[in-house]
Formats: sequence, structure tokens, C-alpha cells
Amino acid sequence: MARSQSADPPRDLLGPVQGEVSWFCCGSAWGPCSSAGHGACGTCNSGSMQHAWPNTSDACLSITRPDSCGVSLSRRTCGFTHRTTALCTGTSVVTSIADCGPQTDLFCGERSCCGATCASNRLLDLTPAAFSKIASLSAGLRPAEISVP
Amino acid sequence: MNGIAALQPYVIGPLLVWAAVLKLFGRRTRAQAGRTALARLVGAARAVPALRLVGVLELAVAAALLLPPAVPAEGAAAAALSAGFLAYLAYARRAAPMSSCGCLGAHARPVDLRGFARAGLLLAASVAAVWAGPHPVDAPLAALGVAEAAALLALSPELDHAWLMPLRRLLVRLRRPLAVPSPEEVPLEVTLRLLYRSPAYCSASARLSSDVRETWDEDGLRFVVYAARGRAVVFAVPLGGEDPAAVRVALIDEPAVA
Amino acid sequence: MTSRRQLLKSAVLGGGAGVLAATAMGSLGPEAAFGAAAPDIVPGAPDPNFAEGRIRSVKDNTLFVLGSNMVFHRIRVVDGTSLWKLGPVAFDQARPGDGLYARGVRMPDGVLAAESVWLNIVNIKGHVRNITSERLHLDHNGQEIVCHQVPGKSVAVYSDAPPSADLSLLRVGQHVQVLGAWRPDTNQVDIATVFSPH
Repeated sequence: MARSQSADPPRDLLGPVQGEVSWFCCGSAWGPCSSAGHGACGTCNSGSMQHAWPNTSDACLSITRPDSCGVSLSRRTCGFTHRTTALCTGTSVVTSIADCGPQTDLFCGERSCCGATCASNRLLDLTPAAFSKIASLSAGLRPAEISVP
Repeated sequence: MNGIAALQPYVIGPLLVWAAVLKLFGRRTRAQAGRTALARLVGAARAVPALRLVGVLELAVAAALLLPPAVPAEGAAAAALSAGFLAYLAYARRAAPMSSCGCLGAHARPVDLRGFARAGLLLAASVAAVWAGPHPVDAPLAALGVAEAAALLALSPELDHAWLMPLRRLLVRLRRPLAVPSPEEVPLEVTLRLLYRSPAYCSASARLSSDVRETWDEDGLRFVVYAARGRAVVFAVPLGGEDPAAVRVALIDEPAVA
Repeated sequence: MTSRRQLLKSAVLGGGAGVLAATAMGSLGPEAAFGAAAPDIVPGAPDPNFAEGRIRSVKDNTLFVLGSNMVFHRIRVVDGTSLWKLGPVAFDQARPGDGLYARGVRMPDGVLAAESVWLNIVNIKGHVRNITSERLHLDHNGQEIVCHQVPGKSVAVYSDAPPSADLSLLRVGQHVQVLGAWRPDTNQVDIATVFSPH
């Protein structure tokens, strides 16, 4: 069980949260993805509208540890949908959870900005299909708002 | 020869104790047991009990080796354990090549040549230990013991963070292999990151329908062109500049290709 | 300097501004600009306007791509399409064997009219195991990936600081994200951007 640093409810239950969003490949595709497999939910594919969430299970949370960055996120399991909206462009995409990730605790405090709007900490990773809907894949990492559609 | 044989229990024993302690009391080891090749062998649910059993065996063999009297059966037991390790590593390499062995603590690196070399060294030392008997310790023997222990440690990727990483960091600090002389050309990514911070990009980005189509430098500016659903968005970004507000943008009908 | 570039340059320097006016494209909002005709894709489902796979052959302006799920894609590249291979490149840089992601508009005949094509693009996270001459050795899920610094192209982004061509602040043992171009059929990647949390 993760040590909770506060008795406050997870931030994403209170409303949209802002953070960084990146992309990852899954589904045993080409390149370094060839050994990636179909993610923790067994359904992940790079061409599908899916994402990885840091709190899909206790085992997942023990790897991603968003609490070490001072961020608490609610437990959401495979298939749950989130809306990710790129900050300052306003474009958004709705995806469902297909994997555990990102490794929030390894990038604690990292910030990304679009215009004058910035967000910290990696909260969600999108598949290439989903990320390319709201930003260029070559951008790699973008600030975004995560909400429940 | 007798001296070398007599030395082996004192090289193997501490390593076995260490491995046993990590298996029996290491929280991270137990937490990651499910991802080791052992889990693949016995099933994820039985991984932790299996790990504990191996730890108990290691502790028992270590105790036999380190405590008097010295009996050939102790060396034989250690050799059997080491042979078992080698077989397990071979299985891990075949059946679950991406998983770690869980041998000496928790780490995510798969079984590699170093792991096999370590197990092989352990087996050789165990076989030698069959002939172990009381023997005085002299300086050359002690030096050999230290050398053997150092070899076993060097072959343990779990311990890289303690010596190999600091050594590499020192070498990097001395050699600076990634330092570049001041570049003549500003990389495009530098321009794009400045662009992303600009009000110009903010106002236009929702209309962009492509990634960067073309870019060229002229008069101290870098021009970056994107498509915008049949039209074009052009940004002019000062080269070497750091002020996002200086970026200019225009949306134009796509001119005919020259 | 082509006359086309002259036109683009004078447009942005003469008629351009610090921001694009909201009325520049009528009253279109972002949703409309991205094709109001296309309905939202069901979450979890494959996006028909996106393709992933490896290029099998290139003919005229079409890329023939085999997806990892064994689906075959025909991807048409036009003047307005962007191609990325460690940076913007021309169509002749697309080669059989290249890995590909493409986003565009799926036509009724099944062809994907590409708006953006990214060749061999990877975005891998891992620990830096070693740094040697112009190379970053990355441990990506137990796999070693050798990431090459490309002079004039590779940059490091240290959190929200301005990016730098100087990668020497990266440390052995730290975690990074490498966005780059995979060298097909190898464990090597050319670095476009290294993201470092500090």
C-alpha cells in the first residue's frame, strides 16, 4: 500500500489536473517497441486511442509513485476514459486506460510550457495515435490538462 | 593448493549470506519477485515463497562453509547450489530473456554474460572447497581472497551503482564526451522550443494540421512553415534569440510551388 | 531563394503579427479546424486516420506500409504533408524498412491522405548506463539502446530551461527520455531531443 503523504482526496477527483503528457509505443511494433507487448491491460496498441495511467493498481502505483512528487491520483482501472487537452492549443482527445505509466517519480518537478502556461510532473502517457491528435509526435512532451469526459 | 581450497569457503560464504539476507529480508526484492525469471518458473504466486526457500538454502550452505569443521560435503553442497544457479540462469535466458534473475537483490536488468560468469566462478570455487581443510592464512592467500571477492562483486550488476556508476561519472566528468564546441548552427529543436513558448504559436497551434514542413534561415531569422488545412502558417523566429514575444506569425493561402 | 519562400517570408514579415487574429480563419475554433466532419473516435479503438507500421515500398507519392497488426496501409503524401526523419525532410528520404507513424484523413477508397508522417520516430525512457564519445548508452526496460549525439541537431532540454546543444550536463545513472530516430534493424537511435528532469 503506498504511503499517503496527506489525507486529502486525490487531486483528479476534485477537478481537472494539469501536468505533462508524453507518448509511448506498445503492441510489439517496430523498433524498440518490438518487445513492448500489449501493456498491463493486454490491449495496448500504438494505433489505438489509449493511454497509460500511474494508478491502475497497487503494483502499478509502487512503480510510478506520483505521491513522491506530491501528486495524488485516484485509482482508475483498464478501460477508464480520460480527456487530455493540450494547454494553450485547446485540442483534446479522449482515450481509455491500457497500461501502467508513466514513471512519474523519475521525473519529479520537471516542467513543460506552451506559451506562458506551464505544468509540472508527468501524469499520463498517450499512444502515438492519441498524442498526434493534440500535438506533433516530434514535440515529445507537452503540458496538458487531464479531466474525466 | 590446500591453501586455495581452504580459502574458498570464506569467499563463497559471505556472498551466500548476503544473497540470502536480501532474499529473506529485502522488501524491494520481495516486491519485485513477481517480475523475475523465478516467477516464470514456479508461478507468480509462488515466487516469494520460492525466493525465501532459496534464501534459506543459501544461508544453510553458508553456515556450513563458514563454521567448523571443514567437511568435503560442504563444498559439494555449495557446488550443487552453484550448479543449480547456472541451470536456473540458463533457463531464465531461454524462457524469460527480459526478466531479471532476482539473484542478489532487486534490479531490472536481464540475465547476461556477467551473471553466467559469476555463477561459473562460484561453481569453480565451490568445487575447490571440497578439499578445504584448516590452513594458516598468509599474505598471498589473503590477496587471492580479496581478488576473488572483487571479481565476484564486479560480476554483480546489482552492485554497479556502488562502484561502476561512480567510476563512469568520474570518467565522464574528466573526459566530457558530449561537450560540443560552440555550434555554428542553431539546432532546429532550439528554435522550436522557443516557438512553443511564444504567443504566436499559442494563437496558431490549434489550426496547424501538420508537423514542420520546411524551414530556412535568412537575415538572422529562421522561418518555420506548417500546413493549416490547405493553407500555410509561417513563423519567423529570431535565431539565437530568447524572447518568445519576438516570434511573428502569418496565415496565408498556400502559394503555388515555384 | 525560391519565389515561394520569398512570398512566405514577405507574408510573415510584412503582413504577420505577434499573434494570429481569431478572425483570421473565420470563426473556426480548434475542433472545427481539425475536421468537424470527422466524428470522435471511440476511446480504446484504433484511429482510422492514423497508421503505424514499416514501409514495404515507395511508389510515386504513395507509401505502402505494413502495420504491426498485419494491416496494410496506403499512405499518400502531398505538398502539404510534413515528413520527419530527425527533422523535416523531403519525400525521397522515405525508404523501405523505415518505421512509420502517420496522421491524416482516411479517404473513401481506403488511402490515408497524410498530413504528418514521422519516420523511425521513437520516444524512449530509460536510465543512462554510460556516456562515451558522442554516445549515450540507455537501459530501456533491460534492453541497451545506443543513442548518438548528432552535431547540429541533438539538443538537451533540462526541465523548462531553454534547450541546449550541450549534452554534457547529463549524468550516468540518471533517468532521461530520448526522442529520436531509430536506425532500422539496430539498437541505435539518433538523438533529436533528450529530456532531463533536472
